[in-house]
Amino acid sequence: MVKQRGLSLYLNNLLKNPKMKTDLLKINYQKYSLSNGLEVILYQDKSLPTVSINIWYKVGSANEKPGKTGFAHLFEHMMFQGSQNIPKEGHFKYIQEAGGTLNGSTSIDRTNYYESVPANYLELILWLESDRMGFLLPALTQEKLDNQKDVVINERRQRYENQPYGLSWEILFSSLYSNGHPYSWPTIGWMDDISKFELDDVRNFFKTYYAPNNASIVLGGNFEIENAKELIEKYFGEIPGSDSVPQVTATTQKLSKNKKIIHEDNVQLPRIYLAWHSDKAFDKHDAALDILADVLTGTKNSRLQKNLLFDNQIAQDVSSFQYSAKLSGSFIVISTAKPGINIDVIKEEILKEINNLIVQGITDDELQRSINSIKSSYIYSLQKLETIIDHMNHYNFFLNEPDSFLFDINRYGKVTKEDIVAAAENFLREPYVELIIKPKSD
Amino acid sequence: MNRSSAPIPLEKFSFEIPQISFINLSNGIDLYFIQKEKLPIVKLILISSSGSLNDPVDKKGLTFLTSLLIDEGAGEYDALQLNNEIEKLGTIQSILVNHDTFTLSVLSLKEHFERSFELLSKIILEPRFEETDFHREKKRMLDKILQLKDEPSYIATTAFEKRLFINSPYAYPEIGYEETSTAISKNDVTEFYKSNFCRSKFSAIIVGNITEGEAAGLFNKYLGSLKSQKSETVVNVSSGVKKNIYFIDKKESAQSEIRIGNLTKPRKADDYNAARIMNTILGGQFSSRINLNLREKRGLTYGAGSSLNYSKNTGYLEISTAVNIKNTSEAIQEIMNEMNLIRQNISKDEIDFAKSYLIKQFPSRFETYTQIASNISPLITHELPTDYYNSYVSNIENVTPEEIQRAALEYVKPDEAIIVVVGDKLEVIPQLKTFSEITPVELDLNGNIIG
Repeated sequence: MVKQRGLSLYLNNLLKNPKMKTDLLKINYQKYSLSNGLEVILYQDKSLPTVSINIWYKVGSANEKPGKTGFAHLFEHMMFQGSQNIPKEGHFKYIQEAGGTLNGSTSIDRTNYYESVPANYLELILWLESDRMGFLLPALTQEKLDNQKDVVINERRQRYENQPYGLSWEILFSSLYSNGHPYSWPTIGWMDDISKFELDDVRNFFKTYYAPNNASIVLGGNFEIENAKELIEKYFGEIPGSDSVPQVTATTQKLSKNKKIIHEDNVQLPRIYLAWHSDKAFDKHDAALDILADVLTGTKNSRLQKNLLFDNQIAQDVSSFQYSAKLSGSFIVISTAKPGINIDVIKEEILKEINNLIVQGITDDELQRSINSIKSSYIYSLQKLETIIDHMNHYNFFLNEPDSFLFDINRYGKVTKEDIVAAAENFLREPYVELIIKPKSD
Repeated sequence: MNRSSAPIPLEKFSFEIPQISFINLSNGIDLYFIQKEKLPIVKLILISSSGSLNDPVDKKGLTFLTSLLIDEGAGEYDALQLNNEIEKLGTIQSILVNHDTFTLSVLSLKEHFERSFELLSKIILEPRFEETDFHREKKRMLDKILQLKDEPSYIATTAFEKRLFINSPYAYPEIGYEETSTAISKNDVTEFYKSNFCRSKFSAIIVGNITEGEAAGLFNKYLGSLKSQKSETVVNVSSGVKKNIYFIDKKESAQSEIRIGNLTKPRKADDYNAARIMNTILGGQFSSRINLNLREKRGLTYGAGSSLNYSKNTGYLEISTAVNIKNTSEAIQEIMNEMNLIRQNISKDEIDFAKSYLIKQFPSRFETYTQIASNISPLITHELPTDYYNSYVSNIENVTPEEIQRAALEYVKPDEAIIVVVGDKLEVIPQLKTFSEITPVELDLNGNIIG
């Protein structure tokens, strides 16, 4: 790999310890593809007693259609229901008996599956993952589907409907995005849709999206490279690729005017959500918007925490973030009012602070504090193999380069005070969605 | 190729438990030290024995409020300045309170560790406890107590603990209640700090890319004046709690939150490992009896499980789940069935599975700096030997099936079970009446019996 010298020097200066540099910065890896199109990335770290696998399938809730929402996530559940050679619940049983951990997750853009086991069980995880990549359908039954629909319906109740403010995200995104936009529905799906899925939906989804050419595997930890290559070919090589995978497209989103939604819920305190359209992941202003969020709400000294929580004490909490994905991004500010405080006062203060930042700019200290915390969190994240290899799949997905740790941290290092103001001016002066979740009026 | 059976694992890879040094510092602080060089990171956990157990009955929440206030200004820095000093290092500092301990932790880059340590020492030795900061943090705490009324899971857990630990200090949540927290004055906080916190037993854990000498040196340089004392609080937790069913009305709830359990034994009991293996089978992981029954067989829930929890003076079994409200009685019935069934029989396959799970996952529990440090904490709280983990694997291997079956009888007690349900009472009451001879008792949101 050709490394960009300037980036290494930059991080080296940050770390002020030349001995650390090589260990930390060198994510040595190999990347290649099988003949069926499966991308394979190998990252060896022999200092660990474990081996971890992380598979990304390039399908998420954005690939769904209105009326069929929540299917990518329900399908993720079905991947744990056994396959031709693995009984129902077998994935958990085999991995746990080996002392390993496993799970999966579904987002708007992708679905991932991961396992970590003691290094002598490498072949076990390849066997398990390849069996469901290639041979899921022979084990599919109506009973399993009905069971997992019940589980997911209860997941929706537990994590969204029975949580205070739990419905805020789906209300917010279905308002920010136009009807039919792939990001306009929640990943868990609408309740009515979940209950209607049928076996044919599972079959079609599997055939369309779960082909090896729509996936990438990162294998990390303690293994021999040549042996791992042979085993991966053995288990995944015979799974046929598919012709082509339909891609998600979406129209550019722009609000013509502010939208305000008021939703009553079983809550004690009103909460406001402000959402703007912003840049997508790794786009021009993406890193500046991350820092902007930190400057606004990341620490006790940040603009909004200081104003709302410390000086005026009108809010119980405030947070903000740049939520960027493949098709687009959004910038979101959230705050909960103290008892007796009008939520409109909080909104005015938020907009006032954003305006102050645009007019007056930010200080060197604010920028430095933010970059230091991003740098530290990057180094803390290197403690865990699972985190590293999920990052590698993330970078591979967005940048086609698994080792983008340096590139990524340098995106932040290059952001100037002016860039942050420009990002705020560019996006936060545009129309926004305002959602207020307020206590039910009896 | 033949995929019909699972591949045979290779020979086990060797794994060395990190070397734990125990140093008794001159001021009486017990320091557990592990040098770990892989990354330029240091993790520090400082544990004081002044947990919320000692809060006066009418001022529950005092220790918790002290923990909120202790880092709001110290030494030459006011609240915002102090936080700025920490934040600009990229250091993550956290302060947590439970019934037994008051814990301050730091995760820092090696290059900033000494400065992070210095700032932590100011928080410990020179907190300002200023009037304005006190009022702000107290209000934040009271508003948090108000917000917790929205959380069915929190309501269920605290009500369960209240009914289980009735009349003991473990019955109260660390954050207190509206009335008790309102009663706390600034003077209470400074008095708690002087008489409890400063006179408690201090222990420390460091896992990081520094030497033992450097670690000990920092304590001498910055915390030399802190004198760790022997403080022993023995709390008697009454048994004799009778089986009972309680419910708390949460209107229009989409699910019911269920807690079921009973008091058990303290952590130092001889059959700790037998009980742990038994609980692994009952509800301690995904493939457990309770989860497979309620989730994978019946689809009643997103997840259900059990845990054996330990405080310094006691232990308890807690089974928890959230289910579709219409299935409340079915779920309770199935959990009670599982409690009875595990007392009757545990198969060899289940024991082999549980032992394999607990033994083989052991190396992976020593991956991150924070994980390693967290493994040491129970050695301090429960006064276990420093070389505890050396015999971890053999201690599990050696447990016999008879001991595991006996542990089921001694740790799982359906006849003493406290059952708490949080949900819409119009839906819940008719269901609770169908399957039990006991009249369900209604509680308020704080777990007090109504009427």
